Amino acid sequence: MAEHKLLLEHTDDPMFRTLAGYKAKGGYKGLERALKMERQAVIDEVKASGLRGRGGAGFPTWIKWNGIVKDKVGPHYLICNADEGEPGTFKDKELMENTPFLLIEGMTIAAHAVQADAGYVYIRGEFIDSAIAIRNAIDEAYDAGLLGKDSLGKGTNFDLYVHMGAGSYECGEESALMSSLMGERGMPRLKFPHVPLPTVRGVWDKPTIINNVETYACAPYILDKGGEAYAKFGASTKNSRGTKIFSVSGHVNKPANYEIEFGTSLAELLELAGGMKGGALKACVPGGSSVPMINAEDTMKAILGYEEMSDVKSMVGSGGCMFLNEHTCIVTFIWRTAKFYANESCGKCTPCREGTKWLLNTLDRIVAGGGKAGDVELMLDICSQIDGRSFCGLGDAAAWPVQGAIRVFREEFDYYIEHGRSIVQSEASKFMLPGEMLTVAK
Amino acid sequence: MSELLQIGSHNQRPNPPKPDEVEMKFSAIGVSELEILKCQYPEIKACILPALWIAQREYGGTLSGNAIAEVAIRLNRSYAEIEGVATFYSMYNTHHAVGKHKIEVCTCLTCYVEGSYRIWDYLKSKLGVGHGKTTSDGMFTLEEVECLDACDRAPVLQVGDQYIGPVSESDIDHLLEKLRATKESTAVQMADAIVKVHLRNGGR
Ligand SMILES: Cc1cc2nc3c(=O)[nH]c(=O)nc-3n(C[C@H](O)[C@H](O)[C@H](O)COP(=O)(O)O)c2cc1C
Ligand code: SF4
Ligand code: FES
Repeated sequence: MAEHKLLLEHTDDPMFRTLAGYKAKGGYKGLERALKMERQAVIDEVKASGLRGRGGAGFPTWIKWNGIVKDKVGPHYLICNADEGEPGTFKDKELMENTPFLLIEGMTIAAHAVQADAGYVYIRGEFIDSAIAIRNAIDEAYDAGLLGKDSLGKGTNFDLYVHMGAGSYECGEESALMSSLMGERGMPRLKFPHVPLPTVRGVWDKPTIINNVETYACAPYILDKGGEAYAKFGASTKNSRGTKIFSVSGHVNKPANYEIEFGTSLAELLELAGGMKGGALKACVPGGSSVPMINAEDTMKAILGYEEMSDVKSMVGSGGCMFLNEHTCIVTFIWRTAKFYANESCGKCTPCREGTKWLLNTLDRIVAGGGKAGDVELMLDICSQIDGRSFCGLGDAAAWPVQGAIRVFREEFDYYIEHGRSIVQSEASKFMLPGEMLTVAK
Repeated sequence: MSELLQIGSHNQRPNPPKPDEVEMKFSAIGVSELEILKCQYPEIKACILPALWIAQREYGGTLSGNAIAEVAIRLNRSYAEIEGVATFYSMYNTHHAVGKHKIEVCTCLTCYVEGSYRIWDYLKSKLGVGHGKTTSDGMFTLEEVECLDACDRAPVLQVGDQYIGPVSESDIDHLLEKLRATKESTAVQMADAIVKVHLRNGGR
């Protein structure tokens, strides 16, 4: 199987970033068709496509859109989650930089389906090139009457704005993103069932739809070619339809974004990325730092699909796929992962705020050579107190990689704790360590 | 022990200026940009983040106590609220005065396995400062940051609005030389670019 490019087909073509070039390649046909359809028919088309959210959770997109208040009273809002922050993921960045109109057309289609009056693209603060590309595309679309007054037919307006983040991973979590958009600290809000879903009461307490960049970017194809045409891709999987962009990085020869059909194997993805570099495959983190890592054997048999990945006890996640070679010390890799979550925890709830720091403290000690018998059990205990007990998904995401690594590479942790140094002793492995740890590695 | 990236001894904030001592320093452009922004959200409170970007540009890259107070006055919010929001986000320079150029080195997972700590150590010794510190000539501020989401180019660093990667030690020598010769502050340029993308046609 090779790549199937529905979204990334024209990334090399600079003209595709202009409205004229985009239209020349068939752009805006999806919106044209959608505007002739009833709103419910648009949602049904998305239902037929089987599209699931590409931001990490894989929630069926049509259910979200269908949940919007039908008898509109006040304004409805549409948000694009472009706060890509998951370590290992860089697909939204490429989509925004090279195919900005796919996102804008997709959001306009969604705006029609859910009767949105205004949309906000919440872009991660560091992504200035992406933001400029989106800005220019929005300006062009306004000038052509594709956004703004009467853009969804006479008397129906849709405005689209850019809002920049300012450096916080947690703002990718949808309710934290809404807090941030409203001008607050990026902390999550109480969710269903305690309060209504965002589709009923979201940002500014108004009905709101929030989706990932890639999710919106799929809509033009689905509305142009039809949901069934889209659903033909990935038909070999249980319940994953269409294509998915995987950001491949780590010890591979050609790190880049690869768009593949669901049902492709992880081994084929590795092959697409030019195979391993600097040593044999040891482990793979298939869906961004938050998902459990898997060993080489499982990597070779894993099939990319939402349900299929759970067969190897991992997840598709955001599609940030990191391959690690035999010179990687798993213990220090997990130490760096724990540092990420300890840094990014927003501090709202105790299990995550304290737990992530304790995980890091313990790993700090182990990595510095001061590990004690029982440390592995201690970490598992901390993880079990975070997982499922924190306020938002960041806590779970901090626990899973540690639990996963201990499950698969337990002997590396035991060795490190007993000997005060890594089981992996090569120049390449020392190359990775921070200066203050080099003395420990001897 | 790991130094947590955003918490540490450098995390000291100035006392708020007395209300009658706040200097209003926004340029005419900054003021008019803020007026446009106010029309883009249903509530003025939502302008806090973009207004802080304007302030970061107008105050030379650092959000001083006066900068926070000016934003509070212009948006009719309390000082404590603006201060609370600003200190949550890592890209607002609230913890320390930044130099002309802020060099942000990603040491997160992919960069980590590609040897970003060698780049980090090299920069630390070359500049003689550690995380969150500025060189005595006020030229460079060094920061260790989390994934910049350009892992295909690992190891990556960011200066202003530029991503640079993959970087080697010799690239860094060139980069520092180039930055020393740059007149404009890349920290200010970055804030300016971020303000502009909020506005149709860049506010022109
Ligand atoms: C800690 C955390 C970080 C997240 N970061 C992102 C992100 O950077 N981008 C994203 O699209 N979704 C992110 N999500 C998922 C969102 O909460 C949400 O599920 C998603 O935006 C829904 O869009 P989708 O249905 O199109 O996937 C994150 C979730 C959590 C818990
Ligand atoms: S789980 Fe972590 S990030 Fe989420 S609310 Fe709790 S402290 Fe904040
Ligand atoms: S890990 Fe450095 S850019 Fe992603």
